Amino acid sequence: MSRAKKKFAVAIVLFVAAGAYLAYSGARSSMAYYLTVGELLDRGPAVVGASVRLNGKVLPGVDWDQVSGRLAFTVSDGSRQIPVVYQGVVPDTFKPGAEAVVEGTYDGTTFTAVRLFAKCPSKFEAKPGGV
Amino acid sequence: MSELGNLTIALAVLVSAYGLVAALLGAGLRRAELAASSRNAVYALFLLLSVASGLLLYQALTRDFGNAYIASYSSRDLGFWYTVSVWWAGQAGSLLFWAWLLAGFGTLAVWRQAHYRELMPYVIATVMGTSAFFTLLLAAVSNPFARLPFVPPDGQGLNPLLQNPGMFFHPPTQYLGYVGFTLPFAFAIAAMATKRLDDEWIRATRRWTLVSWFFLSLGILFGMQWAYVELGWGGYWAWDPVENASLLPWLTGTAFLHSVMIQEKRDMLKVWNLVLIILTFGLAIFGTFLTRSGVLSSVHSFALSSMGPLFFAFIALTLIVAFTLLALRLPWLQSAGDLDSLVSRESSFLFNNLILVGAAFSVFLGTIFPMISEAVRGVKISVGAPFFNQVNVPIGLALLLVMGLCPLLAWRKASLANLSRNFLFPAALGLLTAIVLIVAGMSHPVAVTAFALSAFVTATILLDFHRGAMVRRGHGEPYPLALGQLVLRNRRRYGGYIVHLGMVLLFAGMAGSAFSSKQEAVLRPGQTVGINQYTLRYEGISRYPTRSAMVTAATLTVMNGGDPIAVLNPQRNIHRGHEEQPMTEVAIRSTMLEDLYVILAGVGADGTANFKVIVNPLMMWMWVGGVLLSLGAIVAFWPDRREALRARARYLVGAEG
Repeated sequence: MSRAKKKFAVAIVLFVAAGAYLAYSGARSSMAYYLTVGELLDRGPAVVGASVRLNGKVLPGVDWDQVSGRLAFTVSDGSRQIPVVYQGVVPDTFKPGAEAVVEGTYDGTTFTAVRLFAKCPSKFEAKPGGV
Repeated sequence: MSELGNLTIALAVLVSAYGLVAALLGAGLRRAELAASSRNAVYALFLLLSVASGLLLYQALTRDFGNAYIASYSSRDLGFWYTVSVWWAGQAGSLLFWAWLLAGFGTLAVWRQAHYRELMPYVIATVMGTSAFFTLLLAAVSNPFARLPFVPPDGQGLNPLLQNPGMFFHPPTQYLGYVGFTLPFAFAIAAMATKRLDDEWIRATRRWTLVSWFFLSLGILFGMQWAYVELGWGGYWAWDPVENASLLPWLTGTAFLHSVMIQEKRDMLKVWNLVLIILTFGLAIFGTFLTRSGVLSSVHSFALSSMGPLFFAFIALTLIVAFTLLALRLPWLQSAGDLDSLVSRESSFLFNNLILVGAAFSVFLGTIFPMISEAVRGVKISVGAPFFNQVNVPIGLALLLVMGLCPLLAWRKASLANLSRNFLFPAALGLLTAIVLIVAGMSHPVAVTAFALSAFVTATILLDFHRGAMVRRGHGEPYPLALGQLVLRNRRRYGGYIVHLGMVLLFAGMAGSAFSSKQEAVLRPGQTVGINQYTLRYEGISRYPTRSAMVTAATLTVMNGGDPIAVLNPQRNIHRGHEEQPMTEVAIRSTMLEDLYVILAGVGADGTANFKVIVNPLMMWMWVGGVLLSLGAIVAFWPDRREALRARARYLVGAEG
């Protein structure tokens, strides 16, 4: 191995180590459980207070106070459900029937979301043959 | 009509399969008539898919709602152009669009690049193999011509979110970029299959790579712009899996188009280049697949989408074939050149590659993190925007630094004299920028670094332009002419530098986002909300119907120190047929310095309104940077007659020798 190549190897190792460190610390600070409604309920107390991304379908019956911006709704995985409260700007893609991801914490009964995502319709596919 | 559509799709599958076999047999058995037949198969495929696309558009425009796809994505009140966009609005249609583009590109290659006689059969085989997969999906899984058992009186309509001019810019350019990378990949496969592993395949695909990169960049930028004006959360990038998926091939593709220059100049990195283009193609397919299935935004839908396993099988098969071929060819891929010094232009390219691939790896890792953690620890854990930012902001800054250093360094080994001659002025300017910003009170270290590096890179690039022009002026050309001629006669180099200037502006715009400020307010008419130097007075609400929607618009007067400077009208509109989904139309006042972005988040019955106001500094710089980047790419790939002649001469010499 030539001297230049050795220097390169050292530089590359340093670079990769720095990247790995950044990735590790970044991951630690932003990790959250990514759960469905059923999984969250099954885990119960273990995830109370932890940061969670909860994925579920928005059920009909959305209570939205447009003036205060307070939104209350229920997400479901088809069999079980969890009530969610959220305060902030509601994305246009949010509506009953939409697939939503909420980020926040669960206190054992209600999920308090600090961020709300609803799936962009371009990624939606109508059920096969269904109209 | 639909029967004819089904027939063309079925024939397209057969023609793809035939073309694949004929091309391989023609090359293997050295049968010229089979090779010719495979070329005709590409033309036939393009014709068939054009007919299929034409039929689909005809059905859309004649409102044939018996077609399930047309019924799902259009309605009678949809205007002409949005009806045309139905072609790529849904899954089946966009797969057809993909396959049609591929056949079109294949046709171009067969027609314009016939002189690569040895490579062409394998190029055709790769294109046809890919096309066989996509047409098979169209025929068996996601058929754009599937009929409903009855004909509904009207369709479900196109989602109002998609009824935006962005629909004509973002998806087509994105797809052109994704599909385009098939051609460099196909030439790479051909080079490996034929053992013609010098830089022939790279020269043959230089323009394909640049054009694909150009469209992919445009696709991403248009997507960012669309998200910014339409999705109404005040940003342009959320590290959503589908956004990430479009960034991945862009990152590896950018690495590829830099590292091929090293192979051309120094005959190095041959294996690396092949690896990069294989990965880029794989990621482009991955991106197409993610966009269309939404697999990652709900990790549970694997089983729901029957396409998922098929796409994974295709990607796996492609990677296995390509990397096996590469492994078999390793003995032929010895590098002739060698690295001489850590401080040289080729090493700066190497670091550029390392950085871009590192970024791609981290984005890929973050995107599929839930799947990994589930496999390893049995629980799905996802990482959010902080992860991506924390990793990619330093990576971006490092990239900016390398971008500035690269043109300053000599090939092989940069001497100290060379460094100080080139380095002093740009480095001083960068340092000065940092000092001025800190003295002016900017305390955000990342942003200060980004702006200082931007100044540094800009200076190195302009210095290079200036030196080149001065040399030409020494030969008697006036300065402006010299500058123009310099760019025109070295399109690739100076086009590249213009792209870099565009990137610098993009980076500066992103750094500006660090200083965005937000304000939320519930106002009754007459009340005001302040943000930075602006005061916004809410005047009232008006409701009126338009052709397709019921509009609720708020009127706000924007004042800057007491003087009214603008009137903004953020809206919430209810589109007919989509009553459950109000459409937020943000109001934006853009200047070169900053954007004032107002969202009407909600309206009460008594006219009380809930606003979110955001000030985004330097947003305009991003879009200007995007335009500059596109112009630079066009300069770089625009056909150059002299270059074509040189290539022709080289080719003839090669053929004789």
